[in-house]
Parts: sequence; C-alpha cells; structure tokens
Amino acid sequence: MGRTSSLSGVSLTRWSKVLGLGLWLVCATWWGPPLSLAADAGKLVEKDGKYVFVESMDPATKLLLERAVKQGTITREEYEAVARESQERAYLLQPSFKVWYDRGFNFSMNDNAFFLKMRFRTQIRFTQRTRNEAYRNPGEAKNFPELLGVFGDYRANRSEDSAAQFNIRRMRMYFMGHLFSPDFKYYIQMRAETAENAQAPGGLALMDVNFSSTHLSWLNAQVGQYKMFFNRSQINSTASMQFAERALVQDAFTASGLDRRDIGITVMNDEELFPVNYYFGVFNGAGPSFNRLGSFQSEEPTQGCPGGATGGNPFPSPAGCPVNQRNLNANVRLDVNKLMYVGRLMWNIMGRPGYGEGDLAYSESPQLAMGGGYAYNPSINTSSNNSFVGIDLANLNFRRQLAAFGNGRQLGLGIVDYSTWAVDSVFKYRGFSLQGEFYFKNVTRHEKGLPCMNTACTVTAPGQFGNAFGWYVQSGYYLIPRKVELAGRFAYWDPDTHSGDDLVKQSDVSLNWYLNGTYDQSIAVTYSNIQMGTGGYAVGRSAPLPSASGTVPLDVRGGTLIENLIRVQYQLFF
Amino acid sequence: MNGRSQPVAMLVAVLVLIGLGCARIPYTTTVVHEDQRVAVRLQREITLAGYTHPVQIPPQQVAALLRGFSLREQQRLPLRWFAEETPPKKLFREDELQVLAPQLADALQKVGSEERVYFEVFAPGMNPRYRRDVTGGWVAVHDQLLHLTIDYFHVQQPVTQSDPYDYNYPTPWTPEKTYLLYFEPGRFFLADPKTGRRSVDFREFLKTTSSP
Repeated sequence: MGRTSSLSGVSLTRWSKVLGLGLWLVCATWWGPPLSLAADAGKLVEKDGKYVFVESMDPATKLLLERAVKQGTITREEYEAVARESQERAYLLQPSFKVWYDRGFNFSMNDNAFFLKMRFRTQIRFTQRTRNEAYRNPGEAKNFPELLGVFGDYRANRSEDSAAQFNIRRMRMYFMGHLFSPDFKYYIQMRAETAENAQAPGGLALMDVNFSSTHLSWLNAQVGQYKMFFNRSQINSTASMQFAERALVQDAFTASGLDRRDIGITVMNDEELFPVNYYFGVFNGAGPSFNRLGSFQSEEPTQGCPGGATGGNPFPSPAGCPVNQRNLNANVRLDVNKLMYVGRLMWNIMGRPGYGEGDLAYSESPQLAMGGGYAYNPSINTSSNNSFVGIDLANLNFRRQLAAFGNGRQLGLGIVDYSTWAVDSVFKYRGFSLQGEFYFKNVTRHEKGLPCMNTACTVTAPGQFGNAFGWYVQSGYYLIPRKVELAGRFAYWDPDTHSGDDLVKQSDVSLNWYLNGTYDQSIAVTYSNIQMGTGGYAVGRSAPLPSASGTVPLDVRGGTLIENLIRVQYQLFF
Repeated sequence: MNGRSQPVAMLVAVLVLIGLGCARIPYTTTVVHEDQRVAVRLQREITLAGYTHPVQIPPQQVAALLRGFSLREQQRLPLRWFAEETPPKKLFREDELQVLAPQLADALQKVGSEERVYFEVFAPGMNPRYRRDVTGGWVAVHDQLLHLTIDYFHVQQPVTQSDPYDYNYPTPWTPEKTYLLYFEPGRFFLADPKTGRRSVDFREFLKTTSSP
C-alpha cells in the first residue's frame, strides 16, 4: 500500500481527516523536518526475521531493462548493477520519517527507533436526571459529601428533583509511543472535562505519565503515574465500557481507597503471552499528582500538640499542651515514609478475554478469566479524630478524594490503614459477556477510641465504624454482532458494615451502538436507578454533634435517596 | 425496585442470553494453514449455502483467477459521490499470489458444502512490531462460479489484543469493509443466478488460460 495513501486509507470521516492533517502540519512545523510525505517508492518486507524497506523499481523501466538483457543489449551484471543503484537512490531519497493515520496520528522514524501516536477521545453526554424528595432534604451527606473551605467543613449535597444537562464527560489527549526501541514505551494522558462534581473541578490536568520496559516478557516494568493494576473494572479504560459510567461501587473500591491512579512502579509479565499474569506495584498511596509530603496537619509550636483555633485547645491534647495560637502553628508531615503495595494475579482459563467490557470482538471460542487483587495503603489521614468540623486545619487532598469516590463515611476517622481485596471473573463467547467482581475493604483506625464530641471528651461518637464491601455483576449481548449491544448491570455496596440503612443499590441497562465495529465511535443510551440509604453514623454529619454545632443533624429526616438517570453519550476516539 | 428481585431478574436475563448465544456470523472450523505471510481457514456458514465444494483447482489456475481481480472501496453516501471516481487497484501483487494460491488450492479441496474458505495475506504494518498490513476475504464455489469477497484490502490491523502503549484499552480488529470488485476479462464476471452476486465463471475462464 502506498505510504501517502495511508493518510486516507482508513475509515475516517472527511472531518477528522482535515482536522488530523491540520494537527499534523502544526506538529511537523514544530519538529522541524521538511514538510514532505514519504514517496510511494517501495514497501516494508520481512527478511531474515527483520523488517527492511525495499524499493520497487518502476515496472516500465524494469520491463525495458529485462528486454534489453534478453536482447543482449546489456549484460545480466549490468542489469543487476542498475537495479541495485536504482534501489539505493530511491532509498536515499526517502524522508527519514513517515506519517500516517491509524487509530491516531502516527509519526515514526524509518528505523522505528522513535514512534509517536497522538490520539484524542471525547465523550459528550446529555443527562436527564430525576431525584426524590430526600435529595432536597436531607441530601447526600455521607458517601459523597462536599467539602467547603480550607477547614473542609462537610456539606450535604442537595439538589432539586429534576436536572437536564449537557457535559463533556471526558476529553482526553494522548501522546504515546516508544523511544530508542519498541520495548521502551511512553504514555502521556491529559484531560479537560466539564466539572460536574464539586470535588473534581474541570480544567486541563495531567492524568498519566509513565514509561514501560517490555524488554523481558516475564518482567515488564512500568514507572510513573497511571491506573494501578488492581481490579478489572478500574484497569479497563472508560473508552471500552458497556455503560456510560462505572457503577458507584466500582469507584469506591480502588486500590488506594482514594483514586484509581497513583505514582509508583509496577512489575508484571506480558499479558499477551502468559496464561497467568502477575502484577506487583509499589506506590505513594496518595492519589495522582500528589504524594505524602503534600499532606500535612496542623501542630502547635509545642511538638505533639495539635493545632487549631486561636485561644483554645479544643482537641483532647496531651497533658501540658498550651493554649494554641494558630498564627504560630506549624504544618507537620507525619507518616511520610509509608508506601502502598498492590498485587494482582489473573488466570486466563480459556482464551484471553482481556479487560475491555463486552464481547465486541465476537469471540469464536469461549473466553474465561478470573483474577484477584490485594492492596495495602497505610496511614491515610481522613481528618482529625474528632467532630470539630471547621477547626481542623489540614491539607484537604485526601479528604476530597475520599468524598469524590464515595468513601465519605470514612471522613473523620483519623489516621486509617486500608486493606482492600478484589476478586473478579469474566466470560465472553459469541457476543455474550458476563462479568462480576466482589470487593472488601478493611478499615483499621489508628486511634482506637471513639471520636470525642466535646473538649473534655465526655461525649463520644457511637461505635458504628465498620468495614465496607460490595459487588456487581454485568452482562451484555450483541444483538447485531460487533454493532449493537444490550447490557445490564446490578451493583450492591455496603459502605459501612456496622451501620444500618446505608446500602447503595444500582441497576443499569444500556443500549450501545458501535458505529465502526470498534470502541472508537459509539453511542450509548444508559438508564440507571440508584438507591442510597442515608442511615448510619458519619462524623460531623450525625448526632451527636459538637456542642457548638447545634442539635439538628442531617439524620433527623433520613430516608433513601433515589435517583433515575438517562444518559445519552456519544464517544469519538480518533 | 425490590432489591431481592433484581439479582434474580439479572440471572434469568443472563440464562436467556446464554441460550441465545448461537453463532450469527461465520465461524472457523479448521485452520488449513497459518504463518507470517498467509492464513487460510475454513469457516462454517450460518445459513444454508449449498456450495459445490470441494473442488480441485491447481494453484497456478487459482493464481490466474485471482490475478484478474481488481477493486476499490465502496464508500457510503455522500462520500460515494466523490470517492468512487478513483480507478480500481489490482487486488494482489505477484508475491502475494505466490504465497496465497497454493494454500487456497489446498483449502478448496478440503472445504465442505456449508463452508467458505477464508484467507488473509499479511505484510508488515506501518508500525511493524504492533501492526500488520492485511488483505483478507473469502472464496466459495457455486457450480462453475467462483465467488470472491474482500473484507480488508491493505488494512492496518493490530497484532495484540490490547493497545501496546495503552494497556487499559483493547484493540479489536477494524471490521470488514465493503469493496467493489472487478474482473478482467469482464465476460467471465457474471451474476450468480442463485445469489445474484457477481462471480467468475472459472471453468470457462480457465479454458482460455494455458494449462499448467
């Protein structure tokens, strides 16, 4: 195939071709090489196990030369010498790079020592949402509270019963490829999307930057910031889901308990080669674009005395602590020598189903895999071990992550260690898919006593702090192979095993149309019903409250938060 | 919605879907040959086809038949108004015919009446570690008519299931495209009375070629 023609040889709309060409022109200008496309003068062939570029002589010239050999005008040696020189000339006239479109804009040096693929992905969504009266009062204050100000006051998330909004749910820019050799890879992902969650505002942000070595198939290594290899639903890209959005339970049980991404290193074997895959990683355990040195808490000038509001010592401080003076307080970093450990094993029992949801590939033979992961993330500061909301000066990064991923009930538990387990399995065959996971999170509090409700610590919070578990099962079937899929999911989540009336149940049905028979262009219509219990104790949001905080907690009204959503989403990945 | 009834409903739905899980596109029954350059497989049709397989056609004659084909991609409207003015391209180069024809001839002797012979010809892709250039399709014989369909013509296809640079993203093959096929000499390219599809009267055509 001619190399110039490959720019237009793929199923790409005229629109994206124009856009792509424009982008390529900009990039080509930046990088400096002369703006010229590779000539259609040869092809890549495999020779002695290597791919080499061989020029094809012009057929007319070849015919004339062969005829000349037959007629004895030139000798066979002369013919071969001319052919060789022609090939060398054509080879030398080639640009040293090539540019083409193939699921992204590709730029490569001819020796394949450098390769860059640029891709863009967007999910544009319309959401029609209805909520019951409980969302107006009391609102969602426990799993997904909103944090206000530098003190991180817990706020109930309330809204009226109906909403209809467009948003750019995901806008991603990818720069990936290899350096030096195809076995040293890089990957950069940026995002810019509409803010719909007060804990995760919009704007351009770095999501991933990592390097991978695949020199040894049994010992690949990836270092940088990326999604941890822990459980199936989080490893999978949001570009290849059966529903417009993950289930809430899938987000709540990430490896770190904070976010699906982190900074660290993972060693693993090659998923494409081995039937059993291992992954072992060490990370900061602090979430993306952050580490534990960025997390602090307030301390008085006197070491070991917790800081707080000026003129008082509201915490159950150690004996001898003076009245604190906030303007003289310090920010102290504790537990900064701690790291998170993540491990995962996966067995491809039949075939190789991969991580993408649904059987888009229409597997000809049954595909079955099961796996499990364990993650230990110690010493996460969920905010001080008391209910004095509004006086707990500390960095809010951990708390915002907890609230954004639905682990708001763990706010206020002091320093905790997370041990999270996940077990998953998937089956695919001829357009049918079945997938499920079970999660369990053990929350170990460092402060073993109950949180104090007043300065003298004569009133304490009820002892309802438990662990968390959840599961989901989802299935799909391609009504039209590789084109139209119908999928259903049910998810169950108990965010605090010691609390009652706090269960989260979610049901989803989705009809997906994959326009090109790949995940790259799709329209999904997903209906979701989400029911969240408002029961259970949550520090700072349930009775008893601190003495100065009034007597009417959010639990008085209670009830179940019920939400029905229809999401219509268009995805384009190019 | 009742919480207890939801898992039961889901289970019932799953069982129904498993029951529906029969093949709806042709599927591979036999791998006749597979190497780095060419793959030839027998695929079971999902509806009654009634082909007149197996059939014996020597490799040289298979090559002669394939040599007569050219094609161009069928565009969807409105692109069709502009794109199909391009002249058809030769379907196979000589080096491709050399590796494909013997395997195709072999497969035509093994294929059953409800099967088709599916083939793929490979070449290194633009990013040769992770992509292959694929020309693929299938052939079947109805009486004296040889039917050829092309699904891919020099399409870049991934060699791995996941993107090698984005581990979290699967890369299924680009689906089949529709191509308009042509055959020279055109007098042998006839409409099959059974299917209405254009096919080559290979017995008449082969009479015009020199015997091997």
